[in-house]
Amino acid sequence: MRISLEWIREFVDVAAGPEEIAHRLTMAGLEIEGMESIDGDVVMEVNVTPNRPDCLSMLGIAREVSSVFAMPLKLPKTVIDGPLPPSEVQVVIDDPDLCARYTGRSILGVTVGDSPEWMRKRLEKCGIRAINNMVDITNYVLLELGHPLHAFDADRISGDKIRVARAGSRRSIMTLDGADRKLDQDTLLIWDAEHPVAVAGIMGGEGSSVTESTKNIFLESAHFTPMSIRRSAKALGLKSESSYRFERGTDRVFLEHALNRAALLMAEIGGGTIRDIVDVYPGKFIPAEITVPFRKVNSLIGIDIPRDEIRRLLSGIGITTEDRGDEFIAFPPAFRGDISEAVDIIEEVARCYGYDRIPARIPRTVLSDGVLNDKERAVRSVREAIRRSGFHEVVNFSFMNSADLDVLSISDNDHEDRRKHVMLKNPLRQEECLMRTTLMPSLIRNFLYNHSRGLRDIRLFELSRVFIDWGNQLPREGLRLAGIFFQDTTPVIWKDTVPPFYLVKGAIEALFEEMRLKDCSFLPSGEAFLHSGKSADMHCRNVKIGYIGELGPEVIERLDIKAHKPLIIVFEIDVDQMLEHRDQKILYRQIPRYPAIERDIALILDDQISAAEVLNLFRSYRSDIIEHVGLFDYYKGKNIPKDKKSLGVRVTYRSAGRTLTENDAEEVHGAIVDFVTARTGATVRGAA
Amino acid sequence: MGDLLSLKQSFLEEVSAVSEAAELQQLKAKYTGRKGLVTAELKALSAVPPAERPSFGKAVNELKDFVERTIEEKESSFKDVEKGRRLLAEKIDITLPGKPDIPGRFHPLNRVLEEIKDIFVSMGFGIEEGPEIELDYYNFEALNIPRHHPARDMQDTFYVSDDVVLRTHTSPVQVRVMERKQPPLKIIAPGKVYRCDADVSHTPMFHQVEGLMVDEGVSFSDLKGVLELFIHSFFGKGTPVRFRPSYFPFTEPSAEVDIGCIFCAGKGCRVCKTTGWLEVMGCGMVNPKVFEMSGYASDAYTGFAFGMGVERLAMLKYSIDDIRLFYENDLRFLRQF
Repeated sequence: MRISLEWIREFVDVAAGPEEIAHRLTMAGLEIEGMESIDGDVVMEVNVTPNRPDCLSMLGIAREVSSVFAMPLKLPKTVIDGPLPPSEVQVVIDDPDLCARYTGRSILGVTVGDSPEWMRKRLEKCGIRAINNMVDITNYVLLELGHPLHAFDADRISGDKIRVARAGSRRSIMTLDGADRKLDQDTLLIWDAEHPVAVAGIMGGEGSSVTESTKNIFLESAHFTPMSIRRSAKALGLKSESSYRFERGTDRVFLEHALNRAALLMAEIGGGTIRDIVDVYPGKFIPAEITVPFRKVNSLIGIDIPRDEIRRLLSGIGITTEDRGDEFIAFPPAFRGDISEAVDIIEEVARCYGYDRIPARIPRTVLSDGVLNDKERAVRSVREAIRRSGFHEVVNFSFMNSADLDVLSISDNDHEDRRKHVMLKNPLRQEECLMRTTLMPSLIRNFLYNHSRGLRDIRLFELSRVFIDWGNQLPREGLRLAGIFFQDTTPVIWKDTVPPFYLVKGAIEALFEEMRLKDCSFLPSGEAFLHSGKSADMHCRNVKIGYIGELGPEVIERLDIKAHKPLIIVFEIDVDQMLEHRDQKILYRQIPRYPAIERDIALILDDQISAAEVLNLFRSYRSDIIEHVGLFDYYKGKNIPKDKKSLGVRVTYRSAGRTLTENDAEEVHGAIVDFVTARTGATVRGAA
Repeated sequence: MGDLLSLKQSFLEEVSAVSEAAELQQLKAKYTGRKGLVTAELKALSAVPPAERPSFGKAVNELKDFVERTIEEKESSFKDVEKGRRLLAEKIDITLPGKPDIPGRFHPLNRVLEEIKDIFVSMGFGIEEGPEIELDYYNFEALNIPRHHPARDMQDTFYVSDDVVLRTHTSPVQVRVMERKQPPLKIIAPGKVYRCDADVSHTPMFHQVEGLMVDEGVSFSDLKGVLELFIHSFFGKGTPVRFRPSYFPFTEPSAEVDIGCIFCAGKGCRVCKTTGWLEVMGCGMVNPKVFEMSGYASDAYTGFAFGMGVERLAMLKYSIDDIRLFYENDLRFLRQF
């Protein structure tokens, strides 16, 4: 809210400069967010929190200034001397649950015209456009005293009757901004003898508004139930200065003064005569009585404020108190509708005492299980492992749309449930209407962003949640790790000719090693968006935990990447599954005492036979001196037939109980080579 | 004896003229070999009168040692030269770059998030998690924000259905923990949160860390102590901190925490809007209504809660002036952290 310092000074004669006032108000809970000088005045932007509707006016702010600087508050004249002729307008409240009080006055014989200069200026400084003197006065008093008012053209109120009632079967109303508004049955309306003339507390109707030809005014000052105003304003999609205040709560005692203040201004500026007040008041204000133990004040704040001091602080902001020994009774004023509990009173004590005067103390507490929990540690090491392999971490919004899944050819009956997504009712953009079920679309977007900016070494990963709708009220949230890899063939000084697939696979294997995963295997993948010959599903103990592979040609085409067709390797891992398969127990095994013997063999075999099949055959051979079987060479090309490849296998022999002789190793090695060649049709390279 | 002196003299002359290892071997043979000149003198010992024998023998042996030692020294210096020559030939250009094996970087938001977590963990707080897609009940109602409360305007909400929202803060985690555990409680809840809001200074998703401590006799003074300690660990000792009154439905009293502007040292600049202060978090004493809703005895326990925006802290820490940079994921940005 914008406030004018010159206006505030009418209410409280504070000598301090704007900086000092801004600082003191900020420290009292009314944060001054900005200041500007306009025509010798200082206009401040105050952030008024939703609990303090009493501060949504010059008077409200002045009240705080007066208590902060301990200066008296001066109020404008709000008493109208009588006796006056009675108002011809009759008021009935049909729904007192939504309207606790309705007051009004007629001002007859006014001249509608422009407002005086001083009033227009004040309105403009506070961000309200001047319209005509009658409407401006209602806005002026709203800004000045904080209570919303509405001016009707009295001659357009049929039957001189005001009725406050719900919309019921009434379907719509034309508001004064010329819009036809749909109504729901609980919206509170102001009716004349025949029609609705206003949406209570939100906006007037077109048929009853003040125009240049208006002669007689009926001025309304009422109290409407906050929740009802808020609900209706939301439903109508209508917000006004009035509804903003009504939905936060207004002062039903003070509203009469606002009515009088405006009526006096109308008579003064518009030249009319004021009629007597109509006042229907079914929901009388009952002041709150709050019992607060002195001990509780000090124990919650953590300091010893003397009893007299507590009561003095409260009286400074209009809260009267009665000392009852160990406790006191507090009576908050009507404008402080936010105070209803003992903690509300304690907060006011702390606020007036000054938060900066409360000492900071390190609490003495019991030990807690406050260690980085196991999952937190595990997730950190996952991120650390993949980072070490050269991947940079990204963080993306958790949104996607279904076109993202179309690009990846994810089918409607996808096994990974990636089409079982959660949809937002009010997305900001259509591209962000679904919650992610896979991280891949985001990573592809990150790749495109960087690639189009000329970056040629793009290695990215993200670790975030995905959301799968599994039919329950809340979706299943799972942790995924995904990555994307692209390097073009820019020459580098130290050549490294490892194909990209194996570079990324190496990073994943390093991750699995770090996680101590057992029984992991890479099997041909069924993911439709990956190159069918260069992709794998990762399994751990026969459960699929992810995929790795080159993005397929159709996907690359759909992405419309400029220049050549890039070779992009992607992967995605279900982190929850992976962590579940971790082998967390570390047990020491004795270091071998006796030396090993190594034997190498180069096999030429059919290209269709996978390396894993060959190694598995070696490993399936039963002998208690085989310690390890590993690949040390892979070759295709010159000197090898076109549909064949050469694999170099190294077998390590060792006995736990003795030093092996060359003969021991030779015997088993010959047998194992025979065993493998017989089952694969391989020939031994270099053998005659 | 005169012979010995001239023998030594001629050895010295010869040895100083030697320029390669092979010649040294010849010299060694010439003097101390089986038929060498010094060896011959030793063999001639019997011809020396008995009275002079000891002193003559001693002198010959000394000469022999001298010759052998000198040749050894010369030999080893030849070896050093030889080695030096070989190493020089093997010299490489150490200014050529190494084979790049550069690790990736963590995202700045996660770096800051981890730092925050580590500080609170070191103070004995435990880390808790909760769902990002949350029931309206936990996100709002259990935190004293009923359906038609104006405080809902403080947080524009993404809805999945009437009862399910994207959490607008990580506070619902606190409620879920309080339903599960009895005091004393010291936890933080880090994570992603969502608000239906996107402009120059807002993104629809961002990160928060919320904290909660509940025990007997916890006071506002304790809250100030813990948060000051945190701020001094995170922004450095001596960073000015101030608490000013504010409003949150789930705490009372409530406060905003400001730190002295780290860009202008409190003098007033564009970043702090000339106030000299930067808002870094919200906090307060847990509202008894929240305790009651979670089934805690509100007369037996008190507690404090706080919440901070990770983006905000990261922007201050690294002098980042545009929040959107965090989510563009430009490698030229990511590589800087």
